[in-house]
Amino acid sequence: MHMLANRRTAVLLVLPGVAVITFAIVAPIILSVSYSLTQWSGFGDRTFIGLQNYRRVIFDDPTFWRALFNALLLLLVTVFIQNPIAFFVAGVLIELREKTSRVLRTIYFVPSILTVVVAVKLWTNVLNPHYGLFNKLLEAIGLARLADISWLSDPAIALGAVIFITAWHGFGWALLFYYSGLTTVPNELREAAQIDGANRFQIVTRIVVPYILPVIQAVIIIDITASLKQMEVVFLSTAGGPGDRTEFIAHYLYREAFVASRFGYGNAISILFVAIAITLTVLAQRYLSSVRETR
Amino acid sequence: MYGAKKSWDNFYQFQRKGETMKSRALLASILALVTIAAAWAGAEAETTDQVVMRMSDNQPDRTVTWGAVIEEINAEFVAQHPTVVFETESYPDQPYQEKIRIYATAGQLPDVMKYWSFSTLMHPLIESGLIAPLDMAALEGLDWLPGALESNMYQGQLYGIPVSGDLWVVYYNQAILDEVGIEPPRSFDELYAAVPLLDAAGYVPMVTNGRDGWPLSITYDTIFWRLTGDYSLMRDALAGEKPFTDPEFVEAAEIFQEFFHSSGVFASDLAVTDYGAARNLFGAGRAAMYLMGSWELGLAADTNFSDQFRQNVRATIFPQVSNGSGTTDQLVAWFGGNYIVSSATPNMELAMDYIQTYAQLYPDLVWARQAAFPAQTVEPSQDDTQVARDLLAIAADASQTSGTPALDSLTPAFKAAHERLSRDLAAGIITPREFAQGLQEAIEEVYR
Repeated sequence: MHMLANRRTAVLLVLPGVAVITFAIVAPIILSVSYSLTQWSGFGDRTFIGLQNYRRVIFDDPTFWRALFNALLLLLVTVFIQNPIAFFVAGVLIELREKTSRVLRTIYFVPSILTVVVAVKLWTNVLNPHYGLFNKLLEAIGLARLADISWLSDPAIALGAVIFITAWHGFGWALLFYYSGLTTVPNELREAAQIDGANRFQIVTRIVVPYILPVIQAVIIIDITASLKQMEVVFLSTAGGPGDRTEFIAHYLYREAFVASRFGYGNAISILFVAIAITLTVLAQRYLSSVRETR
Repeated sequence: MYGAKKSWDNFYQFQRKGETMKSRALLASILALVTIAAAWAGAEAETTDQVVMRMSDNQPDRTVTWGAVIEEINAEFVAQHPTVVFETESYPDQPYQEKIRIYATAGQLPDVMKYWSFSTLMHPLIESGLIAPLDMAALEGLDWLPGALESNMYQGQLYGIPVSGDLWVVYYNQAILDEVGIEPPRSFDELYAAVPLLDAAGYVPMVTNGRDGWPLSITYDTIFWRLTGDYSLMRDALAGEKPFTDPEFVEAAEIFQEFFHSSGVFASDLAVTDYGAARNLFGAGRAAMYLMGSWELGLAADTNFSDQFRQNVRATIFPQVSNGSGTTDQLVAWFGGNYIVSSATPNMELAMDYIQTYAQLYPDLVWARQAAFPAQTVEPSQDDTQVARDLLAIAADASQTSGTPALDSLTPAFKAAHERLSRDLAAGIITPREFAQGLQEAIEEVYR
């Protein structure tokens, strides 16, 4: 009787959580899968077409692959360029006097507290070829040849500009994570290594990095999801153009579903997108965990 | 013992005090609840007489031009129906269209909304039974321009009232052209000759909304017509009876690419210049010309811009292409904007009344403010701005009009493909031949 009451209590306690997950995650995914098997404009009649949408996305849609490539490129830039810079800056900040460090930390973190609309509008104005500050600056320092470039609409450069804006906006968070991580590294470990004759590079690679691996792991997992679901910067700056040069998956599926009214097709992209995101996250999680275990 | 009795007395006293306090708290709570309930009931009684009408449109600025006209119509409607309260949502064009699609998907369309008569936008709503047919007989005698109501009919039923006659024109700033010493260009040769002069004077020769694609697509139609002189070829291609890969379509694409990409007429950031940015560059006197529809008639009345600009803004025809067989009186023109009613509105009678009121008041109000080019006849007056006179003259001089632009003639997917291909061609990412091939594939998809 007592066991039964306990079980009932447990079920009652778990039920709200299960209900939230069912209605907020499981049900939408099931609905999305069912829509992805149809030809549907978002309203009106649906026609069941089996796996045709998936076949078309995978074998006959270069924009999807470009969008995926762009998202992966953003991920690589974030992990291999933004993160090391953030790590380095955090390392410098931790060595500075507290007062100076606090001021600089605030300055570095300001972009991250700007809403994405403000940040993107700021950069689209700065990079504007007519009145933008950046081209005027280039002209003033004698780089007139570069001052004619349209950073966000030149097909060869636009993706770089979009990735730069995204990385700039997220830099503060990466810095915050690394700075917090570095504050947890005990001084005794560094001092012991120094006594053993380790140089600065060895201390960083053999002591600090292994110590904050859980932080690095968390940052990389966040980077994977943020890069794959990148939408706002693209939507507000280039709308995926010129052509599809700056297209990203989340923006592309929105465009297909709500601009081209191919709701079924948009859902097929979203299902593949979820599958890719989960796969990448699991692989990264496993790899980083195995690295941690071997250390 | 005495002490003990005293303490018991104290205890009872304390308990009684506690009970009194509890009773008071209970009484206060009941009173508070009664007060709140009474206030709520009062508020309910006050609001039960009110009827909330959900409206939406693409005019976020309610202080000037078209947005101000809508507010005037709403005020008049509320004067006639004092119980009506409007809840209005307004966004710029593209986000607005996307928002309406999302509402349609969720089955939550506003009661009355600004929309467009194009088959790409309105037909999916009609076919899904989401918008209500209107009473043609009640609306017929309101001085519509020829073909205006017909553009809103589907299978013999009227589904919207047209609110704008749309012409594809070039606006220009007379003061800038005077400063540089040029006339409004009537041909591509004149336009291209003006580019270095405007550049040297520090002006962007021409701006448009290159980010959304549709202005580029409409310009392709215009160039095609200027080149061939025969718009029926375009209609044949849209009907799937003539391939888009035929030489005239490729040649039009070549002229289009030169115009947008390599002639220097547009700035290099065309691909990311959105509607607002283009309008502001022109209104701020940084661009000499602005390629847009006649709905921008309100530029001359927009107090967000300087007096100097407003007195100098003019409109002219889209220039003739070199060696073209067409003429400049062949006008890409259509009846685009309309007002429609949700079939699910709980206030159907009021919504129909609103449509009637709108159709009656709109043309005079919008013309008085010189805010848009209505789809009903209006009386020109001496107070008309110069740009309004220019547009009336362009419309009056037209020998032929195109009807709905190509991109809006078929399906949403065709429209998306047309816009994407036009953007790619304007950005120099694809060749004219690839553009034509892309259109052909898109049309084959429509008829598959």
